[in-house]
Amino acid sequence: MDERPISPALKASALVMFIFLLAPLLVVLPISFSGDAYMAFPPSSWSVKWYGAIFADKQMTAAFSVSIALALVVTVLSLLIGLPAAYALVRLKPPGAEALGSLFTAPLLLPTIVLGLAILLVFAPLGLLGTFQGLVAAHLIVTLPYAVRVLSTALATLPIPVEEAASTLGAPPLTVFFRVTLPMMRSGMVSTAALCFLVSFDEVVLSLFMTGPRISTLPVAMYHHVEQQADPMVAALSVLLVFLTLAVVVIVDRTAGLAKTFVK
Amino acid sequence: MSAIALPARSARRIGPTGVVMLLLLPIALVNAVGFLWPVVNLLRMSFKETQATGALIDTVSTATWATVLSDSFTLDLIANSVGVSLFITLLTLVASYPIALYLHRSTGLWRTILLVLVIAPLLTSAVVRTYGWIAILSSQGLIANALLFLGITPPRLMFNLTGVVIGLTEILMPYMILALLSGFGRLDPRFEEAALTLGATPWKTFWRVVVPLTAPGMALGCLLCFVLAISSFVTPKLLSGGRVFLLATEIYDQAIVTLNWPVAATLSMIVLVLFGAALALYTRALRRIA
Amino acid sequence: MIRTAPDEMAGLKQGEGFLSLRGLTRRYGPFVAVDDFNLDVAKGELVAFLGPSGCGKTTSLRMIAGLVPSSSGHIVVNGREITEVPPYRRDMGLVFQSYALFPHMDVARNVAFGLEMRKVAKADAAARVREAIAMVRLTGKEHHRPSELSGGQQQRVALARALVVRPSILLLDEPLSNLDAKLRDEMRNEIRDIQKRLGITAIFVTHDQMEALTICDKVVVMNHGRLEQVGTPLEIYEHPKTAFVAGFVGRINRLAGTASGGIAEAAGVKVAAPGFTGPVEVMVRPHRIVLSAGAAPAGGDLHQLSGTVARATFAGDILEYEVEAGGVLMKTEAATRGGETVHAPGTPVTLSWRPQDTFVYTAS
Ligand SMILES: Nc1ncnc2c1ncn2[C@@H]1O[C@H](COP(=O)(O)OP(=O)(O)OP(=O)(O)O)[C@@H](O)[C@H]1O
Ligand SMILES: [Mg+2]
Repeated sequence: MDERPISPALKASALVMFIFLLAPLLVVLPISFSGDAYMAFPPSSWSVKWYGAIFADKQMTAAFSVSIALALVVTVLSLLIGLPAAYALVRLKPPGAEALGSLFTAPLLLPTIVLGLAILLVFAPLGLLGTFQGLVAAHLIVTLPYAVRVLSTALATLPIPVEEAASTLGAPPLTVFFRVTLPMMRSGMVSTAALCFLVSFDEVVLSLFMTGPRISTLPVAMYHHVEQQADPMVAALSVLLVFLTLAVVVIVDRTAGLAKTFVK
Repeated sequence: MSAIALPARSARRIGPTGVVMLLLLPIALVNAVGFLWPVVNLLRMSFKETQATGALIDTVSTATWATVLSDSFTLDLIANSVGVSLFITLLTLVASYPIALYLHRSTGLWRTILLVLVIAPLLTSAVVRTYGWIAILSSQGLIANALLFLGITPPRLMFNLTGVVIGLTEILMPYMILALLSGFGRLDPRFEEAALTLGATPWKTFWRVVVPLTAPGMALGCLLCFVLAISSFVTPKLLSGGRVFLLATEIYDQAIVTLNWPVAATLSMIVLVLFGAALALYTRALRRIA
Repeated sequence: MIRTAPDEMAGLKQGEGFLSLRGLTRRYGPFVAVDDFNLDVAKGELVAFLGPSGCGKTTSLRMIAGLVPSSSGHIVVNGREITEVPPYRRDMGLVFQSYALFPHMDVARNVAFGLEMRKVAKADAAARVREAIAMVRLTGKEHHRPSELSGGQQQRVALARALVVRPSILLLDEPLSNLDAKLRDEMRNEIRDIQKRLGITAIFVTHDQMEALTICDKVVVMNHGRLEQVGTPLEIYEHPKTAFVAGFVGRINRLAGTASGGIAEAAGVKVAAPGFTGPVEVMVRPHRIVLSAGAAPAGGDLHQLSGTVARATFAGDILEYEVEAGGVLMKTEAATRGGETVHAPGTPVTLSWRPQDTFVYTAS
């Protein structure tokens, strides 16, 4: 790269903008240790009571379990459905493969508010609103495009001769897939899983349409909580969420390389 | 040493077309049930009507469209949403450009760290980040307390348009930065050096060389941010406390609170039309640049 | 796809080679990558597919391996038609130019893969793997990943992996082209030794004529998807059937001429050309030309051409000349014996060569 010095004006403006970008995340940590009964910054006293409050809040803990279970189920299903689809599109190249690929990633182009409404109108008469299955279906619609896209890229960059070598050595197609293709796709699979997990775990808008009094996800519960009272418990929760995200990212980095997954 | 026999053949075989169909069946099912059908149904819903009592009438008419497009409230809503979204897009561009340029020019580990800092907010829930803005902007928040400490009466920063604009700008910045970075690939430092050695001032070099070369990235970032701004819901809703009316929040209210599905569907279609318009504008701008 | 019915094939199966290709053709749309390929390979033979880039060598090999379906034609191995058999039932060993080792398995598991597919008992398999790894001189590297090996070592693993199952035919697609020159010579002879020792039938794709001539029993020269000539290295070199083969295998001088009445005349030289009329190309290899200073001595039945030296190159082992003669530049070369004078440019010289070293082809 070039050794061009960066002008002080650029440095200063970049610094200001970075502070602006990170400000909301930075204030959350001190607030989570607030000892006040309401949110104020800076807090007038310090404690860890709001972390305790999370675990005492039945609704929050229930929503948290729902979110984790939902994200796990959605991730597994995304891989199970996305991988065969990516394989068919990239390797078997049926006529119209490109059009099909666009169709399968099209849900991402739709604003979630519109998609949420569209799904609501169809799922309501089916009795899927406020059910776990309904949430799974709704989340799959937005995670599958990511899964197909990342897995397709992973498949397209695999060296085909390696699979052909296995086949000439006597491995039938399914054996080639499980013994050679799949192990070589490991990093692509990990990236896909992490992406699907995070997308599902963070999804708010679709979930807002799908949840009801009987079932809620963590982001939806937090949304409603903030809507009513923005107390420091949400900050404590946010800190936990940031760490959870961080854990996922570290796992991806260890197994697949962060740069390869998110920066292309 | 003798040859080693391959295991015997198993009998079953399905043709290649059968295999493709089998592999694509699950995703096709999800796509059809979760996307195609809902979208078609949504379009259909916008041509239904509601009675004064709120009951849904199963007809095909343009009555809902006519009401929505002649109602001054919804017309204001559309105009407001477009205006606010454009303003937020512009602010996001201005705020993101220095970060992107700085990132483009930094190298090694430092660049990786900065990239992680840009991506980190993207991986954090919009609810969490919006909550952070509440902590900064509310009457008990960081800015208000800081101003009070200095003896200044703090202005109202939340539950109005100001808060929405500030919050959304920050929420959208990572997208803009990444879009800009993708467009900066064309920006070779040698062009700038050439301009500088030809006697252009740094300021002139920036406007005449850097900006035109990075225009495609800016166009992409602006398209992305406009589209995201006009359809964003969580941040405007929480930061405005329901006091600012935008297309996305109105769709939600019509769908969940008022339960007027034809109107919600019609407004959704209007959002999609605005999307199409933005996309058309983008492709035209891109052709002009190239 | 057009195919002949199986019973029409019956006559083909008898009395042919171990591997027989009959009318093998591959089209990509209107483009014909391999055109009506016919070949018989005897058991234990090492056959080279030689030709310039894009001539269809890889496509032919992949059709034999079953990785590319043929558009028409038949492949018969040991009397059994295998044209429709999928690659994993063909029992062929294929060595790729890129080696194509399994990156997630170590050397031993790479080599064991084919045995595993054949459900060979564990202990037997382990012994065979050990033996195969020893054969390619990689003992001690069993537990290295491919990424931890050099190019030559990876090549050996690929060879061991293909050979350990004792395939009916070994197919090698430019196996040496990613290696440096010294290693290439070494591996070339190693492949030849192993092939002979195991008595395995093998096809060796290359665009390097040296490789083809030095280690193969038979050479198949291809051009534009068509088979130009099949023969032993000696036949190919000494009796090239087409102008293409003459020009592609070894170096050659070309003289344009015309033929009539069984005699062709080019650059003033008259050569025998039975059966030719009209424009022809007369060719002779540089090192079959004897260069002598001065005017033409009585040549007996030698063909002779006088000219002047345009450039002389002393290259140590050989002495090369470019001679301006009869309006063309003729190249000559001769092994140095010591003590010869290097003629300066401008020196009048005479080129002489024997009639049997002269090739005549209809001009294209
Ligand atoms: N999948 C394909 N689609 C279209 N054309 C192809 C395809 N595969 C090969 N060809 C064409 O067939 C011709 C023969 O290709 P092939 O790979 O057999 O050449 P080759 O003799 O092995 O050349 P090289 O020495 O460069 O490896 C080439 O002109 C190539 O462009
Ligand atoms: Mg080839």
